[in-house]
Amino acid sequence: MSWILIILYKSIWGGLAALGFAALFNVPVRSFFHIFLFGGIGVFIKFTLLHFNFNIALSSLAGAVAIGFLSIPAAHYKHTPPLIFYIPAVIPMIPGILAYRMILGLITLTGNPKSATYGATLSETINYGLKVVFILISLSVGVVIPMLLLRKESVKDIKVPFTRK
Amino acid sequence: MNELENSITNVEEMKEVADILLKTGTMLMSAGANTGRVRTTVHRMADAFGYSIDLHISQRSIWLTMLNEHGASIFTIVRVTPSHIINFRTISGISKMSWSLVEERWTINQITDELKRLEQLPRFPRWLVLTLVGLAGAGFCSLADGTPIELAFTFVASFLGLYVRQEALKGGFNPYVSVYFSAFTASLIAGSASKLGLSDSQNHAYVTSVLFLIPGVPLINSFSDILDGNVQNGVTRGFVGFLISFSIALGILTSALIYQF
Repeated sequence: MSWILIILYKSIWGGLAALGFAALFNVPVRSFFHIFLFGGIGVFIKFTLLHFNFNIALSSLAGAVAIGFLSIPAAHYKHTPPLIFYIPAVIPMIPGILAYRMILGLITLTGNPKSATYGATLSETINYGLKVVFILISLSVGVVIPMLLLRKESVKDIKVPFTRK
Repeated sequence: MNELENSITNVEEMKEVADILLKTGTMLMSAGANTGRVRTTVHRMADAFGYSIDLHISQRSIWLTMLNEHGASIFTIVRVTPSHIINFRTISGISKMSWSLVEERWTINQITDELKRLEQLPRFPRWLVLTLVGLAGAGFCSLADGTPIELAFTFVASFLGLYVRQEALKGGFNPYVSVYFSAFTASLIAGSASKLGLSDSQNHAYVTSVLFLIPGVPLINSFSDILDGNVQNGVTRGFVGFLISFSIALGILTSALIYQF
């Protein structure tokens, strides 16, 4: 069971990372707690799925979709548009390490193409780059999928159960 | 004669409404709302005033045409968007205001006052933003399996990195150059962890120290714009996000050159 504790620990840090961006984006104070919570939930879902050997892009997509869905009742409850919750909350899932390795690989690839490791670096760089691209697409599309599925222009038109009017 | 006077006051009022609509739209755009949100909000407000309009929204300006009852244009005005500074409190406030206009029938003066109030709302104190962004840096490091010492290094690096960015922007540097300075400072500080033997070969602190700079809003808005059909704005935002990422990469590579990583 220790893996779940590690993931919970990471989720708390994920929530804090979301909170940092919330401060940077000057969100209304009343949305702070939900951003922390959603950031943590997204990271929790992503790492749990990764633990069960799901694809990294798919895991990120699941986390982003969850954040997107949670943002709708939160928007009703806190009277603020959903993007204020979902943009800071998905940022902790952005694959920084993979992006760094891709860029480092690209720089290495500008070197001598006849060196022995050139082929290996090339395939690694393509691998990292594709992962980065697919994760970024998953994250940005994932958070708006709920709005696309519910087919409404404004969250005000969506009926959310268990919220006060 | 009376009819003519009527139409003149009508046009005057129309101009006043158009001005407020454009003010709202440009404020939303510069605060970091996606194009669909700007369009929906401005149309919602125009409907509440009883006017029909057409909009052209770009990254740097918004064009608005007032239409008569037959759908023909009466006049068109343009307003330049102020420089983009992300401010979600403005977005939230304008969203609330637009609904108050629809539901409580606010007057033009009330809207003007509310917009002025929203413009003057204070941002969070600087020390709070710096601390929370430092914690966010530590958070990124933790997500990448960093040790507590590496977390501490990332905290300091992100804190000072953001400080440098704020100072550079204040000093009038180009936003991309500011990002470069910031990424360079942050990675230089965090990279010292490995040089002091406090970090393993993976360099977690060094890599994650610049992640507080990632252009989350341009990248996410880019996709929501494209999905909405605002392809031109989506591509523009995507390219802005790409350029910021490129500046981050340049900054981190400069310190890699110094440290010989």
